[in-house]
Amino acid sequence: MTARPPKRVSRIRSAIAAAALLAVAGMSIGAPAQDRPPQAADDVPSPPAKSGPPGPSYLDPLYATEVTSVLGRNVIGPNGEKLGLITDVVVDRDGRPRAAVIDFGGFLGVGSRKVAIDWNLLKFDIEKRDRTVVLALDRREIQAAPEYKADAESTEMVGPPLVGSSSGGDAGK
Amino acid sequence: MPANDGTGIVADRAQRGDERAAAISAERGLDWFNLFVANIQTGFGPFVAVYLTTQGWTQTRIGLALSLGTIAAMASQMPAGALVDRISNKAGVAFFSILAFTASALCFACWPTPLFIYLGEALHGFSSCTLGPAIAAMSLMIAGSRALGLRLGRNARFAAIGNGIGAAAMGACGYYLSSRAVFFMTAALTVAAVLPLLPLARLYEPGRPAARREKSAARHREPIASVLTNRALLGFAVCAMLFTLGNAAMLPLAGNFVTKRAESEATLLIAAGIVLPQLVAAAISPALGRLAESHGRRLVLFLGFCTLPIRGVLFAAFPNPGMMVLAQSLDGLAGASLGIIGPLVTSDVAANSGRYNLALGFVGFMIGIGATFSTGLAGLIADRFGNPVAFMSLAGAGVAAAALVWTAMPETRPR
Repeated sequence: MTARPPKRVSRIRSAIAAAALLAVAGMSIGAPAQDRPPQAADDVPSPPAKSGPPGPSYLDPLYATEVTSVLGRNVIGPNGEKLGLITDVVVDRDGRPRAAVIDFGGFLGVGSRKVAIDWNLLKFDIEKRDRTVVLALDRREIQAAPEYKADAESTEMVGPPLVGSSSGGDAGK
Repeated sequence: MPANDGTGIVADRAQRGDERAAAISAERGLDWFNLFVANIQTGFGPFVAVYLTTQGWTQTRIGLALSLGTIAAMASQMPAGALVDRISNKAGVAFFSILAFTASALCFACWPTPLFIYLGEALHGFSSCTLGPAIAAMSLMIAGSRALGLRLGRNARFAAIGNGIGAAAMGACGYYLSSRAVFFMTAALTVAAVLPLLPLARLYEPGRPAARREKSAARHREPIASVLTNRALLGFAVCAMLFTLGNAAMLPLAGNFVTKRAESEATLLIAAGIVLPQLVAAAISPALGRLAESHGRRLVLFLGFCTLPIRGVLFAAFPNPGMMVLAQSLDGLAGASLGIIGPLVTSDVAANSGRYNLALGFVGFMIGIGATFSTGLAGLIADRFGNPVAFMSLAGAGVAAAALVWTAMPETRPR
């Protein structure tokens, strides 16, 4: 009871940072012709000249058009149906996101289940106004998944559907 | 009314007619007040966790906020009851409790930061504990102890209607608008809830018989120990705790299962599982109130408690989403009987002791203990041994509660 909460919080913090980093990486990979926006270098504020506690030695801008926070984002299916909310991000030992924990289904908070989903199945459309996250699976494909247990020795996440499975949808790219 | 000093009878009759009109509008006011209060409470339930998640809260912190709310509610049950005993104007208590709900809902809606959410939770926890007893005390004032069962049946009907409408409206609001909108809607509803309090407040104006009765009741108070060690009250409190231990986890566990197994529209099925019992409760509550007055409190409570084992067995034997929604409607009978018999038995025991609200707080505290441990316990059993065993264990708590009602709880209906 005493040791757990700090550990969990630090995990989430690192997860958010990692998610943001990944989103940046994803964007630059997705748009290979474009490097960093050229104006970025000019916009970097010069270190404050005021006296007081020393600030960070270097600041890198995070543009709202390039990155997004993920906790609490709505997750929708390929056909636009609401699936749930991202409640947590699971990272590996290098800090790379492995899975998103999604609070799935339910009504007014009753009957929802936490399910871990392979991080690669989530699509972050940063440009979109409401910032919903699109999941490449529909409701049927995740509803029977085992409940995600944060404290268990091992738990399972939903991966991309196997090619030739009954759903027949496009498999993970 | 024209002033007619010469004939005392006419003036007296006018006075009495006025008194009756006031009583009728007070009855209606209490109906609507019950409806709105149930409406308001919907948003403060498990939905808080959903809302805070959308605000980027971590699960650990959400757990902390919810625990804080539970602890605040549990810790304030008896002190709040004792406080309400001291205040003779129960309509005033109800008014300030509603005002605290307004503040709490606004804290949630406007500033989802830890400080204000914790404050909102604590405020809601405390004011729930003053509002419940205030409603029961106003009911006792209006109906008198002889017809209280009928009045509580009516309360339960309107509360069930409020619960049903609240769940449907707030669920839709959360789905189509935003989860934040739910708390703005809650705050707006608290304003609407004040209106039906006006005719009730008139009852407590100085000089009214109601106010006088309340004043004289406050003059002598029995020792707390002698009220709380009453065998009927203790027996009822233990039974209610056992029942809630088995009951509170039933819906979440079944809902979880429906989400996992339903072919389509699991969300709608769960919504039906919440609203349907309220329709049942709205339909049968007045009859239960009458039954409690004609055939005794134990019978009604026993009938209500028996539905829990039936439900548990049905859930375990027919793990099928449609069946679960149907079986869940039995919860309407259980909820209504507990809601009616709680304040009724407490009134039988403590109405004239000057400790009615404290005794209600004690009962609420015991029920709170059951509710607090129910979901955790059921989750643990479900993880280890699977859902059917969990459902059967909850059913077992129901059997124990029903058996205890029959064997250990004395009948308190005045003859």
